[in-house]
Amino acid sequence: MEENPTLDSAAWGSSSGWLAPREARGASFPSPGRALSSVLNELPSAATLRYRGPGMLPWGTPEEEEEEDGGRSRQAFAEATQTELQDPHPSRELPWPMQARRAHRQSYSREQLVHGSGSRMDQWARLLRRPKEKTKEGLRRLQPWAWTLKRIGGQFGAGAESYFSLLRFLLLLNVLASVLMACMTLLPTWLEGAPPGPPGLNTSSPCGFYNPHSEGLVTFDTQLFNLLSGEGYLEWSPLFYGFYPPRPHLAVTYLCWAFAVGLICLLFILHRSVSGLKQTLLAESGALTSYSHRVFSAWDFGLSGDVHVRLRQRIILYELQVELEETMLRRQAAVRTLGQQARVWSVRVLLNLLVAALLGAAFYGVYWATESTVELQETPLVQETPLLKLGVNYLPSIFIAGVNFVLPPVFTLIAPLEGYTRSRQIILILLRTLFLRLASLVVLLFSLWNQITCGGDAEAEDCKTCGYNYKELPCWETLVGQEMYKLLLFDLLTGLAVSLLIQFPRKLLCGLCPGALGRLAGTQEFQVPDEVLGLIYAQTVVWVGSFFCPLLPLLNTVKFLLLFYLKKLTLFFTCSPAARTFRASTANFFFPLVLLLGLAISSVPLLYSIFLIPPSKLCGPFRGQSSIWAQIPESISSLPETAQNFLFFLGTQAFAVPLLLISSILMAYTVALANSYGRLISQLKRQRETEAQNKVFLARRAVALSSTHPAF
Amino acid sequence: MGGSGSRLSKDLLAEYQDLTFLTKQEILLSMYVVSAPHLVDEQQARSGNEHTGTPIAERANRSPLSARAHKRFCELLPQEQQSVEASLRAQVSFEQILSLPELKANPFKERICRVFSTSPTRDSLSFEDFLDLLSVFSDTATPDIKSHYAFRIFDFDDDGTLNREDLSQLVNCLTGESEDTRLSASEMKQLVDNILEESDIDRDGTINLSEFQHVISRSPDFASSFKIVL
Repeated sequence: MEENPTLDSAAWGSSSGWLAPREARGASFPSPGRALSSVLNELPSAATLRYRGPGMLPWGTPEEEEEEDGGRSRQAFAEATQTELQDPHPSRELPWPMQARRAHRQSYSREQLVHGSGSRMDQWARLLRRPKEKTKEGLRRLQPWAWTLKRIGGQFGAGAESYFSLLRFLLLLNVLASVLMACMTLLPTWLEGAPPGPPGLNTSSPCGFYNPHSEGLVTFDTQLFNLLSGEGYLEWSPLFYGFYPPRPHLAVTYLCWAFAVGLICLLFILHRSVSGLKQTLLAESGALTSYSHRVFSAWDFGLSGDVHVRLRQRIILYELQVELEETMLRRQAAVRTLGQQARVWSVRVLLNLLVAALLGAAFYGVYWATESTVELQETPLVQETPLLKLGVNYLPSIFIAGVNFVLPPVFTLIAPLEGYTRSRQIILILLRTLFLRLASLVVLLFSLWNQITCGGDAEAEDCKTCGYNYKELPCWETLVGQEMYKLLLFDLLTGLAVSLLIQFPRKLLCGLCPGALGRLAGTQEFQVPDEVLGLIYAQTVVWVGSFFCPLLPLLNTVKFLLLFYLKKLTLFFTCSPAARTFRASTANFFFPLVLLLGLAISSVPLLYSIFLIPPSKLCGPFRGQSSIWAQIPESISSLPETAQNFLFFLGTQAFAVPLLLISSILMAYTVALANSYGRLISQLKRQRETEAQNKVFLARRAVALSSTHPAF
Repeated sequence: MGGSGSRLSKDLLAEYQDLTFLTKQEILLSMYVVSAPHLVDEQQARSGNEHTGTPIAERANRSPLSARAHKRFCELLPQEQQSVEASLRAQVSFEQILSLPELKANPFKERICRVFSTSPTRDSLSFEDFLDLLSVFSDTATPDIKSHYAFRIFDFDDDGTLNREDLSQLVNCLTGESEDTRLSASEMKQLVDNILEESDIDRDGTINLSEFQHVISRSPDFASSFKIVL
């Protein structure tokens, strides 16, 4: 046995086998452990660690001060003082009590006065510190709902808090987009006189006619229908693209607004994801430290209330047991025989095929719904009943919502069958749900594109004259805007419906049910990943649609405000704290990344429409141009010569290729640097191990020598 | 000086702001809390409902009451401690601090009080110790100082390193003290073995402060979990 039970502090009774054989421990002296640990406690490093400031008792038990070792340790402390004073730490960063810090600050400022304040940079740094802190604090106080978020985090966990934090961030983005829209789109429209009314029936052109307003009196339900589907009087309003007049300045600012909003959103999202990544991106290659993290960062010190504390303790216990079990499973999996592995993999392939089939069916359904909307609208039955007309109009949204409702629980059921560990299962479910949501939107856009450009065939009969399908869609941008508008409204309505018709009644009714079944059915949790994906989907819809429906960010701001208070109410009234803790770090890393993906996906249809599809001849600020982008070269040609040359240069290959080369070189350099740091860290770790062995060896020798020569 | 001032002088406030990570508002709030811990309980009892998440701001906003409370606290102290400064150094026993709702249910509450106490007998906290506590647990404290104090709190036997017993006691605090909420002995051994394997760099069987800080620096959740907000 390597352990010596007489050791005072159990520090050196470890299980590591490299401890030197017991020549230092004979039977001749009473407590060798005390001698060894007292020698080790006198090391300068130990003394520095225990130092707590001038005049204060050091860490550790007070009884140790009574021995004559106290004199030696006080000397070590005095030496430690010297080293501390040489470090230019601000006083508040020292781990000392208040009195010691006060004394340090006074002596430090006295020293500054005597030696003259340090370099110019230090002076400036010190002068700027307080205003910088004040501005940071001021910005933090500007953030609304800070107290609500803290309360949610304390009661329901970090996952729910990250959802509401993301919601607040998206609200900020939408507010910025709306403000920009008001300045760059609405203002120029009215600046040069009121825009003209819609073209009536009497105007005709080779590209057909466009009559958005219906004539005569409209009944109330037609009004409601128009409001919900963006037709009628809403179609020729600042809400949609078609309204804006073809003025050149307006055209330029409209286009610049779209790019500015995209750029600002990109910058904000990058900023948010980088600050979440800073801690996870370290040079050292990922040595798993999951157990240490789980134990050391497990306890949330902000938790208060007996019930919550006990719940959190139960969660931690459960998680630790699951993690230990998973390690055992992983070890079992590593020794699986070939037959077992083949079986597991065949099951996985089958399940993945099933998932692919489900997704394919869902996408086909969405595609069919969008294609058949137009035909279904022509049938006389539908024309007569306004409710059916509304339903047919909303068919794509209904399909997408239904698919997003039904399939994720199926994924949750399938995932445990695949034999992965639980953390991998969660990631798989998240990825599949994400793919479902974003891809169904893409399918909708694809079928719209199909309608607009006659399947990409420029020579098709309908698209030959004007480049787009002018017979069915005289103003195709407004149609796209209307689809996005309907998606937004329907998303809001489903959110309201789910909260009011499912969650609240479930809580109320099942709360009244007796027994375990009632409790089981009545406990709902806040499903963070689903909710966050819903948020990201909603924001992607707004990004796609904001070019074609400029007021969409404003509507989305209102919607997100409503959503915030609705979700908060639902959370506090119906949900119980989560049974599985959601790591905040995952949230901060994963969600902005998915948001970036949504932004990237939304930019594809936008760029395609700007560059490749001819704009409608009868509506919008770009009518009469060959493409939407063609406005920019025209405006550039009105700028002075040097500006023109500079801007043209930016577009040439002579600029793009060197830029690409330089970026690649920088990236390769950074990666190589990171790798070399990782190697250095492993080397230093090995050196440290050796040094510790040396230290213990020397201490034992010292103890052995002092015991055989008592004069020391 | 009599017990007239329940206000901290501006210099003292500025000094506290310089020496801690707290804002002015937080320092004033903590002063109300320490001045009237017994009165806070009485008020809660009188109003009859258990606020688990009520911000102390709402309690402290009844300011005439808190000013009177500080006066009352000062009256309770012996004559020579009635100045504001002296009352700040007066020692508050652990029971009163532990009755705060933020600390009452925390499994580490005794360790926290013991770590931050500067009295020779380590059984009471002064107001400045309490400010230290709040400063370390505040939002803006550096991760270095948080990890330093976390190490102190987790070091149950105060020997400067985290050995197996410290880690076992830590895990028991995390999962609950009663018999049915503990890990089994084999699970505990496996867990502590895993932790030591991951964090003990020099393989001496214990985790010292620098190894702890190294592990914590790679944990992105630590700073957000090591927080107490009044």
